[in-house]
This record gives sequence, structure tokens and C-alpha cells, in this order.
Amino acid sequence: MIYFDNAATTYPKPPEVRRAIAEAMVLYGANPGRGGHALSLRTAEQVYACREAVSSFFKLDNPANVVFTANCTMSLNLVIKGTVQRGDHVVISDLEHNSVLRPLETLKEQGVTYTEAVVHPYNPQRTIESFCSAIRSNTKLILCSHASNVLGYRAPIEQLARLASKRGIPFAVDAAQSGGILPIDMSKNTIDYLCLPGHKGLYGPMGTGLLLCRGSHRLTTLIEGGSGSQSLLPQQPDELPEHLESGTLNVPGICGLLAGIQWLDRYGIERIAFHENSLMRELYSRLTQISNIRLYTEFPSPSVCVPLLTFNIDGQNSEAVAEHLNRAGIAVRAGLHCAPSVHRRMQTTQTGAVRLCPSAFTTNNDIYYIYKKIIEIARNS
Amino acid sequence: MDWTTFYVSSVTNAMRGKKLLEQHGFTVYIKHSSAQGETDGCGYSLQVRGDAKTAKQLLARAGIRLLRIEHGGGGL
Repeated sequence: MIYFDNAATTYPKPPEVRRAIAEAMVLYGANPGRGGHALSLRTAEQVYACREAVSSFFKLDNPANVVFTANCTMSLNLVIKGTVQRGDHVVISDLEHNSVLRPLETLKEQGVTYTEAVVHPYNPQRTIESFCSAIRSNTKLILCSHASNVLGYRAPIEQLARLASKRGIPFAVDAAQSGGILPIDMSKNTIDYLCLPGHKGLYGPMGTGLLLCRGSHRLTTLIEGGSGSQSLLPQQPDELPEHLESGTLNVPGICGLLAGIQWLDRYGIERIAFHENSLMRELYSRLTQISNIRLYTEFPSPSVCVPLLTFNIDGQNSEAVAEHLNRAGIAVRAGLHCAPSVHRRMQTTQTGAVRLCPSAFTTNNDIYYIYKKIIEIARNS
Repeated sequence: MDWTTFYVSSVTNAMRGKKLLEQHGFTVYIKHSSAQGETDGCGYSLQVRGDAKTAKQLLARAGIRLLRIEHGGGGL
């Protein structure tokens, strides 16, 4: 199988990640933070090592502000529902995923409102102005996707963080498509909450997610329960990470995530991004020469977008194209990518679109093979 | 040299405190501690060998909340 669905989850995972997960089942099999025996403490050390690796990777000063979640959606829900209440307003971008839109629609029924600001990929200043004009006196959260999961467009999160900080509004970033792909430095930005999947650009296993908090704002909890400490307190402990982590952690997943981050550190995200962008530029250049292919993404440029490519073949539904490719042993993602606003912007809500996303393991041969198959489908259409 | 027990609020703070103190040359063990006080219940403590005052300052400067401190005892 040639795998181009890396924006959904990266595959394959590095051998080090697979090995770490298997080893965790043997070496770190006790519940961390729940006991004082050697195996529990050894497991807790490994969990803490992952918090340290994450905080170092994203330049967050305190590893205790790294919260483990099940996925990026859970992190986003913790931020949104932990920040706003009846009568509050939220500003988001027009590139958001359903992991942001659906929690907000649920909150809408409880009296929360939101406004979508337009992201202009080639004009960061216009994007800032768009966010600026969307802010109201009751805006309690600004949330923006760092990179669109459909178009790859990057939002100017550094400037948006400054805007939010100036207005005294918490700022959250959905880094589902950028974590491990683009450098994110929490020490240089006033990002209050960074939401990440562990299983995409960080090359950890599915079932891992992260919420990084600067610590200047306090989220209310979505779930409460056992934290392994302060058990006589009737309330949830107020310190991070236990404030937001109730119940047993996904230790094998966390060990795999640690191995993924260590692997990324060894290879360097700049090197991987260079490789992926080169591949996407090669494919993009070839596809622009086919008259009945419509590309929705811009020419891959690291300053404007993350390496992914979205297209349709005239007269064909995206699902049909994906099925042709599947039969040729190629995995891509068709449909609406859980991002209805973006597809409305592209006018593709009826057809969907085909998305390709490379990983560190994608080769030039993979690009040549998929190009050949797309040509075949386009010619027969 | 004397041992001091610093009771902390969570295993994360215990790990954080251990790393920090070891970087400053202290010998540190983590122990599970039940019923730390009337309001706290289960938790963790750091058994620290070395200058208690310096250790306390380092932990406080790192924002690690100390629930209780006990002087004396013999480590593990």
C-alpha cells in the first residue's frame, strides 16, 4: 500500500515507535501515579519523560503544563468548553474542522455565539484585520487552526497571539496539521493553549493527544475523577496536569509518543518538511499540466501552507477517484474532511475533494506512481 | 547528612522536584505517602538528602507546592 492519508494519521510509524509501544506493555505495565511500588514509579518516570520531551519540543517552560488527552479533538473540547459560558462570544477562523465547529454549535444552544474570521493565505495583515473586526466586548476566546486540513493554508498565529494578548483574550491554536511539521515555539508566542494530536506529525500512535497550557488562564474541567493524589479532597485537584487528567493514562500510547518525538528530534522537522515540500512541488507541477484536473491548493510553499494537496478530476466524484486509487493500492482521503466551511469556500460540498498528504516515509517513486494512476483516471474520465 | 521529607501534591510534581534537585546534586527518592494530612489523602513525597533549606528554596522557586515538610528520618 502506498499511503497518502497522513493528514488523518501518519503511517507507517517509525520502527522506534512500534518498539516502544511493545516494550511499554512489558516494562511499564503498572498504573503511574497510583502507587509507590517500583513498577508504578518506573512507569510514572516514563510518562514524565514524555511530558519533558513535549515541553522541550514546543519550548514550554513547565512539563507539568503538558496534559495528555486522547486526541486533538478532546484537547479542543477541553479548551472551548473549559473557557466559555452562556453569553460569551468566540472568534474562530473560516478554516476550522468540526472538532471546533461542533462543540461551538452545541454551546450555541446554551447561549454562546461565535464569528468566523477569514484567513487570507497571502495576506497576513488582512487576516489579522478580519480577526480584529470579529472581536466583540464579550469575546472570551480566539481559536485558530494553524494550518487547514483541506487547503494546507497557514494562519499567522504569531500575530494573532499578539492581538489576543493585547486584548486580554485567551488564544488557542489547533495544531492538528502543523504539530511536528512546522516549528512552534511557545516561549516566543503568547499562545495560551496549543492543541495537538500525538498520532500525526509527531508520529505517535492513535489514541494520543496533547494540550499544552501556558498556565496563565484556568480551564474548568470537563471530567473529574481519580488523579492518584489528594484523594481526601472532594474537588478535582487544581494543579496541572492532574486538574485535566482524570483516570488512567494511555501509557503504551504515551511511550510511543515519546519515541515519536525523539525520532523527530533526531531527524529534524526542517529536514522532513523540506523532503515533503519537495515531493508535493514535484507532484503539483505535474498535475497542473493535466487539463481536467482542478487543484484547490496553492503551489506548495512552506511560508504559505503545509505540504498537502487537494484536487478533483472534472466530472468525477472525489469518492470515485479515491476508489480507483484504492484499487491501485493507494490510500488517499476523499470527501469533506470534516471541514464543511472550507468546502463551502471551495464550492465542493456536493463532490468533496481528494486530499493527498505525504510523510517522512513517502518516496519519489510513490509520487511517480500516484501521478501515473491519476493520469490514467483523468484520461478515462 | 540529614534527610528531609517534602510532601508534594502529585506524582508529576514529585518527578519534577526529583529531577530539579538531582540537577543540583541532591540525592532524592520518591515515596508514595498515604493520608498526608486531614484534607489531602494519598500523594507522593520526596526524601531528600542534603541541605533542606536550599532544597525547599529550589522547589518553591520552581512553583512546586509543598504540602508538608518533615525533618529527620533515614531515607529508604
